[in-house]
Order: sequence, then structure tokens, then C-alpha cells
Amino acid sequence: MNFAIKVLTSIRFALATIGVIILVSVVGTLYPGGDIVFGSPLFLALVGILAISTALCSLTRIVPLWRDVRRPPVEVSDHFIQTLPYAVHLSGVTLTQVRDSLKGYMIRETRTGKTTFLLAQKGRIGRFGPHIAHFGVLILLLGVAIGAAYGNANPYNNKIAVIQEGGSQQVDGFTLRLDDFNVSYYNNGAVRDYTATVTVLDGNLIQTQNVTVNGPLTYKGLTFYLYGYGVTQSGNAWVAFQIKSTSGLPFVWVGAAVALVGIMLSLYVPHKRIWIKEADQSTQLGAISNKSSARFFREIEGVRTKLESHAHSVDHTTRSEEI
Amino acid sequence: MDAVALEHLGFEIALGTYLISSVLFILYFSIKKRRLVEMGFTLALFGFAFQTLALASRWLYAGYPPWVSTYEVMSFFAWAVMGAYVILNVKSDYKSAGVLIAPLAFVLLGFASMQPTNPAPLIPALQSVWIFIHVPIIILAYCAFVIAFVASVLYLFKDKQLSEARMTEGFNRQRDVASKDTPPSRTPESTGILANFSLEQLDELAYKSVAVGFPLLTIGIITGAIWAESAWGSYWSWDPIETWALITWFVFLIYLHAKTQNWSASLAAYIAAFGFISAICTFLGVGYVLPFLQTYISVSTGLHGYAGGGAISGTVLFCGILVAVLLLLLATRKRPPNATRAPPAQTDAESGPTP
Repeated sequence: MNFAIKVLTSIRFALATIGVIILVSVVGTLYPGGDIVFGSPLFLALVGILAISTALCSLTRIVPLWRDVRRPPVEVSDHFIQTLPYAVHLSGVTLTQVRDSLKGYMIRETRTGKTTFLLAQKGRIGRFGPHIAHFGVLILLLGVAIGAAYGNANPYNNKIAVIQEGGSQQVDGFTLRLDDFNVSYYNNGAVRDYTATVTVLDGNLIQTQNVTVNGPLTYKGLTFYLYGYGVTQSGNAWVAFQIKSTSGLPFVWVGAAVALVGIMLSLYVPHKRIWIKEADQSTQLGAISNKSSARFFREIEGVRTKLESHAHSVDHTTRSEEI
Repeated sequence: MDAVALEHLGFEIALGTYLISSVLFILYFSIKKRRLVEMGFTLALFGFAFQTLALASRWLYAGYPPWVSTYEVMSFFAWAVMGAYVILNVKSDYKSAGVLIAPLAFVLLGFASMQPTNPAPLIPALQSVWIFIHVPIIILAYCAFVIAFVASVLYLFKDKQLSEARMTEGFNRQRDVASKDTPPSRTPESTGILANFSLEQLDELAYKSVAVGFPLLTIGIITGAIWAESAWGSYWSWDPIETWALITWFVFLIYLHAKTQNWSASLAAYIAAFGFISAICTFLGVGYVLPFLQTYISVSTGLHGYAGGGAISGTVLFCGILVAVLLLLLATRKRPPNATRAPPAQTDAESGPTP
């Protein structure tokens, strides 16, 4: 059991599963009709394992991450600061001056005896990006599962409704009437669009709408798509509508949007942290970021240079006054 | 001169200059003259300007953006790749990347030139606001992957060159030690076009390109699904294009995870290179398959008719060649026993430092 959890929470295992899914998918595109693999138990099992692994990866990591991000240590040792990727001794610059030059940082400050500690943080949400993305993918997969379970169970799903102009058809407790069907053309004779004007009759409700190739009609969890048309021997137009259940769709779209937000957060919001320790005569500064360190370090370097050169010029003026 | 003639002139000039530019870049490998790279870059710029003209005039006279027909998509892709290459060279000097970019742009334009060029009015299925969003977003994503590919391939070549140099160095030192003469230690430097940038720079360029391309591909796949849902009533149907787009997404997903796991930078470079190959498979799938969309006019033949076969042989052939080249690269890679791995550009702070 412990072993199983250890495997399922490992990133390597999740990536290996993705690798297998890639291989199976490649095979599925190589020969006509190969897309049958995507409905096979093997493929569903792989996606299931990946979903479980994704969920467990996030679940086991989010608590320690939360703790680290919410309550990071403020009072740190000299050694801790010195081993950060960016570490300097500040000369002639006080902790307060640095604090006042840091814009947009969340700052925590504590004092023990004569030593003052400061921790400045920015972009904490970025650390949660991967987990937000994982959560979004899981919502999406839930939507797919709901669609597969309830959508396919709906007796109207994937059925074709053929209605003549002026005629109507009963669908799931309401009636769909075809009022009009038009084909519009470009000047050169090519088809511009097909437009079917339909009316939904449901008790007292009467709702008329145009259905076009890219503009289906959705009513009570069913969507009607233009599927085909023709003319009867008596010269009457008929239109075929494909009916699809919308079960699970909201989950799919919300999940995709959440995943996208998570991806952007994890790629574009670096988590920046700066520790400062001010003791008697020495002020130390250390910084770390989980991304784009170079730019971040340049930013701090800029602040530091500005403050230090200012400090030195102040030194000069004091000295000249003494003379 | 009318817009149609202007478009054709611009197209022909771009095709010609991309070819000459490619030849100059490739010549550089045998005649190591820096001038060749400069000339190749200037010519590429020239061709890019003319292609911009061609695309703009087509947009004007066709009345819709130039990324609908196969011809348009191919040449727009070539243009965008060149554009990315030009932007890349604004702040830093990656001119030598033209050795991969120029031939790619030429091949894409060559493919385009074999397609019918007459602008056809938009068929009903393509009359969607999504065509103006979905297509350019996907193409921009692929441009980012092209840059990631170029950076990764240059990385791998440079890595190989450096480790070979290190091996020679190690050999020389052993010999010198044997003759009791201590040589001044020096780190091997790469030569030629690879001398312009460090391994770290290439690794970071690849990462940044993927960081741009991956969200774009995600948006592209989602908008494609929304479009498919509104046109065909199915947001996903496992046709070759969708499947390859998802495969590409998965490959770069592995890349991004690899970057947080401190895997070796050269392994990441291989993953990024494979991701680009997968992107090309998707793209060629679209290129060959798009004409099938026309069959959609006879609505009753079925809504997924456009995703028929036919695309496969060309795509598989092309990808097979690319994969073979990459595998060859892998096989010829030599590592001296004391080789140090380049540190990854990204540091992961997932676990955070402990005081």
C-alpha cells in the first residue's frame, strides 16, 4: 500500500504514464480507424492512472507547500543567508532603507535583542500554479466522464432529427418546428451559409432561433446541429439535425479555463523571497526565486547599488562638514 | 500593379531569398567566413520584408486574414518563423540560428507554392470568429517551438563540441603529465557559430520559448475545442490533428516538469526537440487534411469527414526523417567520463530552503 502511494505520488511515474499515453496515441493516428484505441480499456486505464497520480501528486505536496509559503522562517541563521543563490553584505545601508525601496512585496519583520530580521515576499500564488493546473485538468476529466456516463445514457444523444419545412418533431418533452430553410451564396456561386429557422414549443414557451453551421441551438441540455438537408419529391425542403447532450460540458470548459490560469501562474509568476538580517554593524541580504533568477537578482542589485552610492555620498558630506 | 501581382512578386522574391540565404548559411559550415552569416541574415531580412508585403496585399484583396487555405497557412507560418528569428536578433546575436530557420522557412514556402493560391470564399464551417483566433494562436505557439527547437539543437551541438574538446584536453593533460610538464589549465571553448552563446543561454532561450509556446498551444487547443463544439457538436473527436496537438502538449508538459526536476539540460533539449517534431506532425496533418474540409460543403457526408486518411503517409515520412536525424545525433554523442553537466537555467524552489 505504502509502495503504491509512493509510486503514484512520484512525478517520474506520472511522466512515464504520459510517455505511454503518447506512444499509444501515436499508434492510434498511424492507421485509418486507429482512433479506436482512444476508447479502449487500455487507454481509459492509462488516463485513469494519470488522473489519480495527478491528484495524489498535488495532494501530498500542497500541505508542505502551504506551510512553507504561509509561515516561512523569518529569523534565519547567517549560514542560511550566505547559502542562498544571491547573498551580499550591505555596507552603510540599513534594513529600513532596503524595506522602503522594495515595491509590491509582502513584508514581515521581527526583532530579537539587537538583531532585526526581515522577510520580503512576492508572487506566492505562482507556487500554487501547478496545483491549480492539476485541479483544472481533473475538473475537465470529470466533465468528460460525466459526458460519457450521462450524455451517452441520454436516449436522444447522437440521434438525428429530420424535419420538413413547416413540420415539427417531438424531442424530450418539447417540440421543434422548422419554419424556414435558406441557403445563401457568394457572387461566384459558392455557398456562404445554411440557415434553418426553428421554433421551440414547450408548454407556454415559444422561442424562435436561427441555426447555422457554426451556430447550433441549445435547449434543455440538448444541442441541435445542422447535419444535412435536401428536397422532397414534392419540392419541400427538409433539414437533418444532429442532437447532442450537453452533459458535463460546463465542467470541461471550467476545467480548461482553470488549467490555463494555473499554467500561466506557474510560468509567469515567479515566487521571490528576500531575507535581511541586521545585527550590530553588519547587514546581510540573501534572495531566492523559483524562476528567472537573473532578472530578479539584477533588480535587487539595482536597489542595493542605489542605496549604497547614496550612503557613500552622505558619508562624504558628513566628512566634509567635520573638516 | 494590382494586389494579386504584388502578392505573387513578393512571394517569389521571398522564396528566392530564403533559398539563397539557406545556401549561404549551409556554406558557412565548409567555408568558415563570418561574412556568410551576415549576408544570410541580411538576405533573410530582405525576404521577410517582401513576404510581409505579399501577405498584407493578400489580406487586402481576399478580404480575410491570410491563414485559411493551406497555401496561406504554410506561408503565414514561414513568415511568422522568420519574424520570430528577426525579433530574436534585435537584442542579442542569434544570427547563426538562421542555419536552421532559413531552410525551414524555405521548405514551408516551397510547400505553399505547390498549393492552389486562388482565395476561395469562406465555406460555412470556416465562418467562425474562432478561425481568426484559433489559427494564428496555434501558429504563434509553433513559432515558439521552432525557436525552442533551434536553441535545443544548438545546445546539443555545442555540448558535443565542448565534451569532445574536453576529451582532447584531458588526453593532452595526461600526456603532458607523463612528460612531467604541467600545462596551464584552461577550459575548452567552442568555436565557429557556436561561440556566440553559452550553454546556459541556449538552455534559457529554449525554456523561455516553451514558456511562451505552451500556454499559447493550450489556448489554441481550447479554442479549437470550442470551435469544434459549436460546428460539429463534439469538442474532441481524436482526429489526427487533435491527437497530434495533444501529443505535442504532452511532450512539452514533460519538458516543463523536467525543468522543475533538475534533470540534465541536454535531456531537456532532446525533449524540446521531439516536441517540435510532434508540432510539425500536427501542422503537416493540418496542411494535408485541410483540403478535406471542403467536402464539408455536402453537409450530409458527415461532419468529421475532413479528418480522413491521406495525411498520414507524408506526415509519417517527414517525421520519420526528423526522428532519424535526432536519433543519429543521440547515437554519435560522446561523453568523457569527467564531463560535467551544465547547470539548469531554472532553479526549483519547490521544497524551499530550510534555515
